[in-house]
Amino acid sequence: MLEATGVTIRFGGVVAVDALDVIVRAGEIVALIGPNGAGKTSFINCITGAYLPDDGQVYWKGENVVGLTPNALTRRGIGRTFQNVASLHDLTVLDIVKLGYGLRHSMPLRAVVLNALRGRDSVADELNETLLHPLGLADFRHAPIQSLSYGHRKAVDLARALAAQPQLLLLDEPVAGLSSSESRSLAALIRKVRDRLGCAVLLIEHKMDIVNSTCDRVIVMAAGAKIFEGLPADVQVDPEVRRVYLGEP
Amino acid sequence: MYTLQLATAGLAIGSVYALIAIGVVLIYKCSGVVNFAQGAFVMLGAYFTYAITRLGLTPVIAVVFSTVLMAIAGAATERLVLRPMLKAPVVAIMMVTLGVLIFLRAVALAVWGPDQIAFPKLFPDGAIEIFGIFITYNYLTAGSLSICLALAFLAFYRFTAIGLMQRCTADNSRAALAIGIHTSNQISLAWSMSAALAGLGGTLLATLNGLSLGLSDIGLIAFPVIVLGGLTSLPGAVVAGLLLGVLQAFTDGLVTPMLEGFLRAYTTIYSVGALQQVLPYALLILVLLVRPQGIFGWRGSERL
Repeated sequence: MLEATGVTIRFGGVVAVDALDVIVRAGEIVALIGPNGAGKTSFINCITGAYLPDDGQVYWKGENVVGLTPNALTRRGIGRTFQNVASLHDLTVLDIVKLGYGLRHSMPLRAVVLNALRGRDSVADELNETLLHPLGLADFRHAPIQSLSYGHRKAVDLARALAAQPQLLLLDEPVAGLSSSESRSLAALIRKVRDRLGCAVLLIEHKMDIVNSTCDRVIVMAAGAKIFEGLPADVQVDPEVRRVYLGEP
Repeated sequence: MYTLQLATAGLAIGSVYALIAIGVVLIYKCSGVVNFAQGAFVMLGAYFTYAITRLGLTPVIAVVFSTVLMAIAGAATERLVLRPMLKAPVVAIMMVTLGVLIFLRAVALAVWGPDQIAFPKLFPDGAIEIFGIFITYNYLTAGSLSICLALAFLAFYRFTAIGLMQRCTADNSRAALAIGIHTSNQISLAWSMSAALAGLGGTLLATLNGLSLGLSDIGLIAFPVIVLGGLTSLPGAVVAGLLLGVLQAFTDGLVTPMLEGFLRAYTTIYSVGALQQVLPYALLILVLLVRPQGIFGWRGSERL
């Protein structure tokens, strides 16, 4: 589904991503790990249209998507979450999740008016049931996002991305800042979403227990380049990975 | 009873102010630009309606057409004039909107001339009496139409998907861009809706006061209104618009006659002029002194 070949991103003289090849197939959960500054987020920014690669191609369902705007990519089914959650002042949790939904679904005016007249909102009810409840956000749905904890804000960001029902989900450190029990339930949710939507997931994560329990395949990056690709079980014994992470000769 | 009569007329005018001010707030929220050309949109909308009725179309169709034309004009202004200035400082962009105002006034002057034009009757003559208050159909329709539109617009902004995208763009345009909102289209849309609302307001004002180039001055009234309402608050703009309309009506109908009576009795001053036109700006200064964030405004906080 997603096929990135030779992706290179430079910032001035720094090569953030160096000729990276990544393939993610439908229904697969792939982890992208590596030390800080390895270029993981830069790579995701490049797939979602925030950065232009200096070199290389990104194919999504056979179409070259380099140069498309984030808006066009969202409509093509590429969804993402962010490492740092942006600050929004006057939108509530439900507003933000509805926003995600609205990016790929039409909300016909007639339905909006009918819902308003009946005093209920079928879209909101559905989103509440399928996303806010499983993510533990149902009680906060009318709260402004600023009032939530960091962990909850990340969950809102995930709910927003999922509401668009993406076919490729790019998650940038989804469990950072969450407690270990919250992390485990989030990992379970990611698997459940994958099973339900059949979507591909590319996950940046540092916590290896999450990676091991969730992912089908692991790609390790260091200094912009891929140094390992394989099963989660094999990562920790790979000599190159051990050298980069642990400093072994 | 006279007070109520004044209040009703004030509310009718005030609701038109609200309509015009909503447009200014909309653009300010989306792009941080205070649009000085709003007055020109008001004037242009009225001239468009006038020109279309001259072609022989019925008033209702003329109003619809002129509103659509204004929506196009708004989007065109954004695309042609403001988009190329995307990276310029906000102050420079505001100066450009001032330029747009002057340009459109000049165009209107060239096309329709400097004289007051008799505006076609959109609503029937006459008045109805409600609880002893006489309201002409003009005021009644203008007032109720604009208040309905303002409320419908607030509902649109609050409940629809596009409204949500508008709010998200207004709130944090970089975040909006990142999550896949076409922010530049949203800004065009804001301009287009803003110009349509202003044009409609212009048409309604012209049915009350007649049509001339002076209609563009009403754009200046929008600034006291939005400062009073708190610059970023749409409901604030509506409430402040109504408030200002009523205050103007009272100034014109009660304060000025009383003041003039007093002055004539004790001094040689005969008239104080159109005090109601000064009032908005006096109020503006007062609000800025006492409550700079406006009635509904949100005081921005700085991280230290």
